[in-house]
Amino acid sequence: MSQKKEKNLDITIKSTSRDLLAFMKLSANRKKRFEKASNEPIKSDPMNELATSLHPIRQYLVIESIKDETKTTKTFKLTPNKELGTDELAYFRPGQYLSLKVNVNGVEITRPYSIASSPSDVLKGFYELTIRKEENGFLTTYIWDQWKVGTKIESSGPEGFFYFDRLRDSKQIVGIAGGSGITPFRSIAKAIIEGEIDAKMTLLYGSSEEEDIIYYDEFKALEKQFPEKLKIVYILSCEVVSLEGCEQGFITADIIRKYCDVKNSSFFLCGPQIMYNFVEKELMEFNLPARRIRREAFGEVRDVLDLPGFPQEIAEKSFKMIVHMGEQTKEIPALATESLIIAMERAKLAPPSKCRSGECGFCRSLLISGNVYINPISDWRRAADKKFGYIHPCSSYPLSDLEIKVPRKLRN
Amino acid sequence: MNKSISKANNRSYDVVVIGAGNGGLVAAARVAMKGAKIILLEQHNLPGGFASSSVRGRFEFETSLHELYDYSTPKNKGGIRILFEDRLNIDAEFVPVPEAYRLIVTNPDEEIDAVLPFGIEEFIEAVEKEVPGSKESIRKFFQLGKEIDQATTYIGKMRGNPDQDVLLREHTNFLRTAAYPVDDVQNALNIPKKARAILNAYWLYLGVPTSRVNTTVFAAMVYGYILKGAYIPKMRSHEYTSAIEAKIREYNGVVEYNTKVEKILVKEGQVIGIQTNKGEIINTKHVICNASQTLTYNNLIHPKSEVPEIAFKEINARTHGITTIVVYMGLDTTAENLGLKDYSYFICDTMDTDQLYDSLINLETPKVQASLCLNNAIPGCSPPGTCIISITSAFRPSAWDKVKPQEYFNLKTRIAEGLIENFEKATGVQIRDHIEEIEVATPQTFSRFTGTYNGVIYGYELESWDSVVPRLQNMNEEKHIKGLEFCGGFGKRGHGYSSSLKDGETAALFTIQSLIKEGIIE
Repeated sequence: MSQKKEKNLDITIKSTSRDLLAFMKLSANRKKRFEKASNEPIKSDPMNELATSLHPIRQYLVIESIKDETKTTKTFKLTPNKELGTDELAYFRPGQYLSLKVNVNGVEITRPYSIASSPSDVLKGFYELTIRKEENGFLTTYIWDQWKVGTKIESSGPEGFFYFDRLRDSKQIVGIAGGSGITPFRSIAKAIIEGEIDAKMTLLYGSSEEEDIIYYDEFKALEKQFPEKLKIVYILSCEVVSLEGCEQGFITADIIRKYCDVKNSSFFLCGPQIMYNFVEKELMEFNLPARRIRREAFGEVRDVLDLPGFPQEIAEKSFKMIVHMGEQTKEIPALATESLIIAMERAKLAPPSKCRSGECGFCRSLLISGNVYINPISDWRRAADKKFGYIHPCSSYPLSDLEIKVPRKLRN
Repeated sequence: MNKSISKANNRSYDVVVIGAGNGGLVAAARVAMKGAKIILLEQHNLPGGFASSSVRGRFEFETSLHELYDYSTPKNKGGIRILFEDRLNIDAEFVPVPEAYRLIVTNPDEEIDAVLPFGIEEFIEAVEKEVPGSKESIRKFFQLGKEIDQATTYIGKMRGNPDQDVLLREHTNFLRTAAYPVDDVQNALNIPKKARAILNAYWLYLGVPTSRVNTTVFAAMVYGYILKGAYIPKMRSHEYTSAIEAKIREYNGVVEYNTKVEKILVKEGQVIGIQTNKGEIINTKHVICNASQTLTYNNLIHPKSEVPEIAFKEINARTHGITTIVVYMGLDTTAENLGLKDYSYFICDTMDTDQLYDSLINLETPKVQASLCLNNAIPGCSPPGTCIISITSAFRPSAWDKVKPQEYFNLKTRIAEGLIENFEKATGVQIRDHIEEIEVATPQTFSRFTGTYNGVIYGYELESWDSVVPRLQNMNEEKHIKGLEFCGGFGKRGHGYSSSLKDGETAALFTIQSLIKEGIIE
């Protein structure tokens, strides 16, 4: 820009004097506008209401009924506990989970459980969770002993990313479920049948024994009624198989090829770690793009010693961990083979957590000093969190004495 | 024990900062660096507010930043680079954005597809190529931008009390245009219609049509972007917000997440403390509030009788700005394979900004979008063989008021689908078959994570009557409660990352002045 031209700039909008006057009167005119305005406070905030309805911090529920599914699984029907302030249940996307908050004999813990009912059931006023009793399971032993009709339950809002998205996924879903990993597929199947999800699903459902199959009769009936939408194949790893429509063995590439349109399907996997290891290897044969395989990530790692790069020599060790949480500071023990979240729960600190698999970041904490092992397949941290020393305690294990700062509970 | 982990049960602080958004973070850091005892309280479990990131699968998405304004080169530092490098000395890396924008107007009567470069001469030449004969008029508009920049620098230097004679003598074009919207000025400059369309693509960053948006704000923004270029943080905004948070702790400031302030306690016109959602009360005489005036006066001040009538009137006289929908996508192919060369795409049906703005009240796919291909600014931002595309569009906040929870997921998917289709049509690039991860943020999402009133992310509309000029002129008069300073996008500098960051600094300076007067710090 030449100097000459700059000096020449001479803008007139209305007239020189009116333009200057308009500037001079800016403040006075503004003041007039303020004075003329209403003095009524604003009372509504519709987006806040929608956000609170979809993502409540806490939902207070009560057990309305309990159904025995198998010898080791029960389905709990949960309705809003209006006395404690939950009038309506939060709507969700089929495949999402609830993080239950349970006080087990003074130890407050959380566990994610997939919602097994349909989103439309929310409008009827209930969720269903199907829970399998684990051998010596800390929480499930308690649940089997204590949960009765009328028991009060505390839960998060619906969470998680294990859901069908029509912008991303094929309209042909292949669900691969292992054991109690079938539960989110019940919700997805119902949503498909109700027309909420425009897709069809083939379920490959692996169990050890016939008597471990959950929802057998229910799924059989649905399959019969909606054969164009739902197909279920049971794969049993036991030696003798007598049930109709079952395969013997594991969910191999051959089984997948036999029942699925592999190239045109989106695969959704939910089950134990051991199933993922097996099925993902089998799927490699098909050379599918990553977008075609989705994996539910919830649950604790059972055996940290099997994880890549975990230093075996410290397996027996216990470390000291100083935990800062809001106004309290506490020194607690932390076992090398247990996640930091479990160490804190044992010490009755009740830190915030939801997914318990490194994914959601709800437990994101500052590592002030010390070293941790982070399960590389469960490291969903933000890049800058790695840079600035933030960790997700639910997927971190102590390698030395530690000092960490944990976020406070959202609510007391 | 690390000193920075002092505890929240210290029930008395020199300063309480409410909200760890752009403004709150800078304010907290600046006050902490002065040696005052501060606590920063944030309801979410992350710093940043809108300045954040989210991880899905193997991708990390930038939440809301498109282009950081006023950063500029190391040799010729912009205000934000000076703030980050020289004042806060934070550990965060920024990279330049390659081009200003590609504008695609799809309506056959207006049809434009042009890539606009940074650099004023380069930009003017690029417009001239599209619209022969527009050169001189566009040049004048940039010259006005420069004069506005000089005038506001002068007013800043005079701490808001400029010498009227100097203004009249040396900043006449600034004065003559300060009370007018962009259309009036561009008419006076005889800028051809098509050239205006190209020049005004940034209107969406202010969210007010050119018939109403104030010239001072708009011309300064366009001039600043084109002159200095734009930058983005290498690891997403979560990097610099985490870096500022680390700085606050380094100076013994306390940062508590998951802590929502429910009340600002006021007695006889003076702040005396705050109360959190955990029931705890913290005594303080100074609150720096990153929440909007709308939320603060309507919900936070306690007792309500301490809110003067004029505070409600100031809010009600204004129009809350727009809110956004963002479609974040991780694709399993590269930008190069797709044939996407540019970083920033403004795609719209028309450049009639009134028509576009009016349509944003409808609950349907908006006819305007600002889309980014992050890899074209940060090549390694996603794993090899992939890229990140985000599509942002806008709504008037009330558009979403009646959405029911059970309609919400299908609604946002439908709108996102339309935005993806419009992107594909305009660019001729197919992305739908490559989506590996997708997430859609809506006004509800922004409300959920930041608590912002009705999901609004743009602050009050910057019309001429309430532009930054009268806001800054009257900022002292419009403080209604002693000890309460505001900072952020609803404030005196308007919205946007840079404005909010600088506003945080201004709020800190006012508070520091008071603390010095009170003998609390030196």
